[in-house]
Amino acid sequence: MTLQFRMRQAWTIARIEMRRAFFSRRALWVYLLALFPAVIFIGHGIEMTYRHKRWSGQGTTPAAALDSVNPRDTAEEVLKKAGKPITDRDWRRRKLTEEEETEKGGRIRRYEMVEGRMMMYYDGRRSVRLFFEDGVLKDKSIREEMNFDQDRQAYAGVFQYFYLRLAIFFGCLGIFMNLFRGEMLDKTLHYWFLAPARRDVLLAGKYLAGLTASTVIFTGGAMLSFAGMLWPHESAAVAAYWSGPGMGHLFWYAASAALACVGYGSVFLAAGLLLRNPIIPAAVLLVWESINGFLPDLLQKLSVLYYVQSLCPVPAPADPGMPPLLRTLLSPATPAAKEWAVLGVLAVTVLVLWAAAGAVRRIEINYSTE
Amino acid sequence: MAVYKRGYQRYQGPLTGRFARLMAMPRFAWERLLQQRLVVIMLCLSMLWPLLCMGFVYLANHLDLIPGMGGGLEKMVSINAKFFVVFMNIQAIFTVILAAMAGPGLIAPDLANNALPLYFSRPMTRVDYVLARMMVLAGLLSMVTWAPGVVLFTMQSSMAGWGWFTGNWRLGAGLVAGFLLWILVVSLVAMASSAYVKWRIIAGALVLGFFFILAGVAEMVNAVFRVDWGSLLNPSRSMYHIWCRLLGAELPEGPGTWEYASAIAALVVLLLVVLERKLRPVEVIK
Repeated sequence: MTLQFRMRQAWTIARIEMRRAFFSRRALWVYLLALFPAVIFIGHGIEMTYRHKRWSGQGTTPAAALDSVNPRDTAEEVLKKAGKPITDRDWRRRKLTEEEETEKGGRIRRYEMVEGRMMMYYDGRRSVRLFFEDGVLKDKSIREEMNFDQDRQAYAGVFQYFYLRLAIFFGCLGIFMNLFRGEMLDKTLHYWFLAPARRDVLLAGKYLAGLTASTVIFTGGAMLSFAGMLWPHESAAVAAYWSGPGMGHLFWYAASAALACVGYGSVFLAAGLLLRNPIIPAAVLLVWESINGFLPDLLQKLSVLYYVQSLCPVPAPADPGMPPLLRTLLSPATPAAKEWAVLGVLAVTVLVLWAAAGAVRRIEINYSTE
Repeated sequence: MAVYKRGYQRYQGPLTGRFARLMAMPRFAWERLLQQRLVVIMLCLSMLWPLLCMGFVYLANHLDLIPGMGGGLEKMVSINAKFFVVFMNIQAIFTVILAAMAGPGLIAPDLANNALPLYFSRPMTRVDYVLARMMVLAGLLSMVTWAPGVVLFTMQSSMAGWGWFTGNWRLGAGLVAGFLLWILVVSLVAMASSAYVKWRIIAGALVLGFFFILAGVAEMVNAVFRVDWGSLLNPSRSMYHIWCRLLGAELPEGPGTWEYASAIAALVVLLLVVLERKLRPVEVIK
C-alpha cells in the first residue's frame, strides 16, 4: 500500500463525509451560526441606508451649524442657527424637584410640570438630538450614523468575541463531534470499520471532510459579514480601504477563521473519540478560552484562541460593560508572530490527531453503552 | 370470556395521589444522577464559591480579629445586595453547566426510545410529565443555588443580629425568588433542548450554547446597531437585572426591569411551546 493509495482512500472517505457535513439537517445550525453576523451587518447596512435616505430627503443641516449649538441655548436660538429640524416633538411631564424624609420614615416628594421638547438634526453623517426643558437646551446627544472606523472596530469585536469564541467553537463542536461520536450514536460506525481501509486513514478522511466543511462555511461567513459591513459606506471610503489595508485585513480574518477550524476541529474530533461525553471537555475548553485574557502570559499561550487571535489584523475593543475590577485583571498577552501562530496551531493539531489516531486504532465498538 | 371479546378496559382500581405519582420519576432520576461521577464532582465544585462566601461573611462580621483594619476595607467587606448579586452570578454559571450535564438525560432517551406512550398510558398528563422532569432539575439546582444562599443569609443574620435581618430581609427573599426564577428558566432550556434533539450529547451542547451564544448575539447586536436593547436577547443579563431589582442593588444600564421581565416571560413561553410540540405520546411517521 503506497502513501498515494492511502491518500486516495482518505479523499474518498472525505468526499462521502463531506456530503453529510454540508447538507445534513444538523448542518443547518452550523450555517445559522456562521451566517448570523452577516445577517446582522447586512441588517445594519439596510437600516443605515434607509435612515440616510429618509433623513437626507428631509434636508441635512451643515455640521458647523450643529457644532455651534451650545448648552443653555434657547429653542429659538437653535432654530435660528440650525434651521428646521427633521423631527420636532414636545411634551409635558412631571419632574421631581424635591424629596425629603419625614420623622416617621416616610418620604415627601415635590414635583413641578416641565415643558419638554426634542429636536433632531442630521448632517449626513451624524444625527444630533437636542433635549429642551422649558425652552432651554439641557442635553445634546450626538450619534455617528455613518462611521466607517466604528464599523470596522465593531467587526473586529464581533469577529473575535462572537465568531472565534462562540460560532466557530460550537460549529466545530457540532461538525467534528458528529464524525465519530455521531456514528456511534447512530450505530453506524461499524460500517466504516468493515471497509478495507486503515483506521487512521478513516480518521484522516473524516477530519479532512470536517475541516473542509467548517473552513468553507466559517471562512465564507466571515467574508460575507465583512462585505456586509462594507457595503453601506461611501464608495470612496471603501475604495480607499481596499487600496490600503482592506485586502490584507480580509485575508487575515479568513485565515484566522480557517486556523480556528483546524485547531478546534482536531480537539473536538479527538474528544469525540477519547470520551463518551465530549461535552465535559467542551465546557472546560469554553471556560478556559473565556478566561484566557485573565490568565498569566504562559497559560494564555496554552489555548487555541491565543494563536488564532494573533492573526487578527485589528485588536478587539475592550468590552465596555466589563466591571472595573475585572478590567484591571485583564492582561492580554502580546500576540504571537503570525508565522509562529500558524505553526503553533498546526503543531497542536498534529499532536492531537496523532493521539486520536492511536485512540481510533484501539477503539472497540460497544453501542449498548452509548 | 373468549379472548377475542376482550376489548380495552381502563384500569378501575385505586390510584395513588397526584403528588406521589409526580414524585415517582424524580425519585429514581435523582438516584441515577447522583450515581454519575461527573455530576457529583460538579456539585462539589459548585460548593466552593458558597464556602468562600461563608468565609467572607465570617470575616465581615469579625473585622475586629484583624488588627489595623481601615475604614475603607471595612466598607469593602460589607455584606449587602452587591455581595449577594455576585454570589448569585457565580452560582448561575454552575447551574448552567450542571443543567447541561444532567438535563439532556431527562427527556432525550424517552424520545429516542419511544418511551413516551408508556408514560402517558399511565395516569399522567403531559403537564405532569414536564413537572416531574422539572422537579428533577429543580432539586439538583436548588442544592447549588437558593439552598446555600439561604445558609449564607441565615449565617449573616445570626452574626449581624436581628437588626440586620429586619433591615435586609428583602435580600433573603429576593435571593430565593431570583434563584427560583433562574431554576425555572434553566430547567426549561435544558428540557426543551433535550426534547428538541434526541441525542443527549448534542442536547448538552445545546444547553451550553444557548446561554453562551445568546450572550454573544446580544453583545453583537448592541455593538453593530449601537443600541442597548440587544441585551434583552441575553437571558443571563435579563436575570442579572431582575436580581438587582429584587435585591435592591444598583441597576445596570440598559433596558428597564419590565422589558427584561417581558423578555424572560417570552422565552419561557417559547420553551413551553417547544415542549408542547415535542412531547407527544404518538408520532405520525410519513
